[in-house]
Amino acid sequence: MPKNEKAISTKGLTKRYDKDVLAVDSIDLSIQTNTIYALLGPNGAGKTTTISMLTTLVKPTSGCAEVDGLDVIQKADQVRQRIGVTFQEIVLDPDLTGRESLNFHARLYKIGKAERLAKIDQILSLVELEEAADRRTNTYSGGMKRRLELARGLLTNPSVLFLDEPTQGLDPQNRVNIWGYIRTLQSNTNMTLLLTTHYMDEAEALADQVGIMDHGKIVVEGSPRELIDQMGADNIRIIGNGKQDVFCESTKMLPYVESFHSSNGIIQIGVDSGNRRLVEIVETANKSGFVIEDISVSKPSLGDVFLKYTGRQLRDK
Amino acid sequence: MNATILLWQKQMKKALVHPEEIVGMLIQPILWVILFGVGMRSLMGTTTPDSGNDYMTFVVPGIVALTAVSAAIAGGSTWLNERLIGIVKEYLAAPIPRLSILMGNAISIVTKVLIQSVVILIVGLLMGAKLSDNLLGWLGGLLLIAGYGVGFSGFALAVASSTDSSEGYHMMIFLLQLPLLFLSNSLYPMETLPTWMKVGAYANPTTYVVTGLRQITLSQTPTIGSVVQIPLWLCFVVSTGFAAFGMNMALRAFKKTIK
Repeated sequence: MPKNEKAISTKGLTKRYDKDVLAVDSIDLSIQTNTIYALLGPNGAGKTTTISMLTTLVKPTSGCAEVDGLDVIQKADQVRQRIGVTFQEIVLDPDLTGRESLNFHARLYKIGKAERLAKIDQILSLVELEEAADRRTNTYSGGMKRRLELARGLLTNPSVLFLDEPTQGLDPQNRVNIWGYIRTLQSNTNMTLLLTTHYMDEAEALADQVGIMDHGKIVVEGSPRELIDQMGADNIRIIGNGKQDVFCESTKMLPYVESFHSSNGIIQIGVDSGNRRLVEIVETANKSGFVIEDISVSKPSLGDVFLKYTGRQLRDK
Repeated sequence: MNATILLWQKQMKKALVHPEEIVGMLIQPILWVILFGVGMRSLMGTTTPDSGNDYMTFVVPGIVALTAVSAAIAGGSTWLNERLIGIVKEYLAAPIPRLSILMGNAISIVTKVLIQSVVILIVGLLMGAKLSDNLLGWLGGLLLIAGYGVGFSGFALAVASSTDSSEGYHMMIFLLQLPLLFLSNSLYPMETLPTWMKVGAYANPTTYVVTGLRQITLSQTPTIGSVVQIPLWLCFVVSTGFAAFGMNMALRAFKKTIK
């Protein structure tokens, strides 16, 4: 049977809790094998619920989803055999050592003893936990726990690895380390990774494709470069008051404006060169009767893309 | 089966990590026999001459049942803790049957119950209880209590699967525990109970398990409670049925947590 080209596909995948809470609102995903896909969005956007449905922990209200070509409802057991998961919260047993945690996990998947022991040593080396392997996990730092969880997710050679907020709560150094492990993984295996994050730099650094999620919907999808490029070479962000409508209309007409977006009092203008066009933009504002209170020039980021499509800034940058 | 054994091994290993749990597990039944058993023996000896040692013999099987319930409550608490921390998610995402997760936990509880039961029987013997020297009788008794332990573990796991609050769990389990223990002939003879309590006691699996234990682990039937005549086979049927019922409840409650 030919290898399924789509590691994950969903159609109209929806999850409703009770009557009032629509956690995931009819999302369609199509994730190629051997890629890293990041679901980027604020807390409460529906990212974890999406992962929970794809990992068979939560039943969808409607719609369908396949992981590695297998329906998550009809063939849940086979899906479980082929996936690895690290959860948003750290779910290590504090009474077991790192090695015992991995050994227990591998035995759940019926991996034979010789293979299991070799694999555990190999993975502990990958995440640099050999020295701490025989200590109980309640003595580990947050970064070590995350690394151990990553190791546990990898242990069973999954086709698809789900990482729910893999660096949440870590300091910058540990975050960069985890990114390094994820990149190493991706280059050494044929694994597909779906990760959720509310860190834009994380999505930008790791993902081949990003889906920006808000209020249970995927509002835009693409590679980080594509999404950022559509914002223009530089991004001028303005907050002010006065005749905003006149200013907006006048600015849109300027020949060097590549993109324009305004919501919640924040105006974002994508231009070919921020430093060069700044003065002209300020002049246009003055002529329009719009008083600028704050102005900044930056290279566009996924945060700007997020703001454009959701009208809100992504918190916890 | 593999997963059940694995979960059992994990829970036992976790218990061994905490020596205080092992010490408490062994001392608790000793205290029950010595403090409750001896105290009640003295009381019985005061009110009815020569019935003191008879009461110790009578109550030892009841203390075994009581200890099984305590162990199941502790096991349910461990399960609730694993649920709240999120450790259960690891099991749920693995390709193993849901029932095996619960069975692994229940069997680990029963293992502790059986160890405690042996301690109770030995201490009871030392305290003057007239126990049988028939090893088969003791094994049969352990089988009866194992079924009861699985059943009440099922109750505890079901309650622990139905709440996200430790206080809520303990309150709910307390409500189950009291009638199960006291609406039975485990601590006092059936013939002294008012009729409405007798009806309740005959509907309670504890009565059958404790009566069965008295029949096969004691060397002579104590005069206290000698009126209760339940065939041994029925005691085993009820113990097995209670185990199946409890685990069914646990499985239903657990499946409900998967929203």
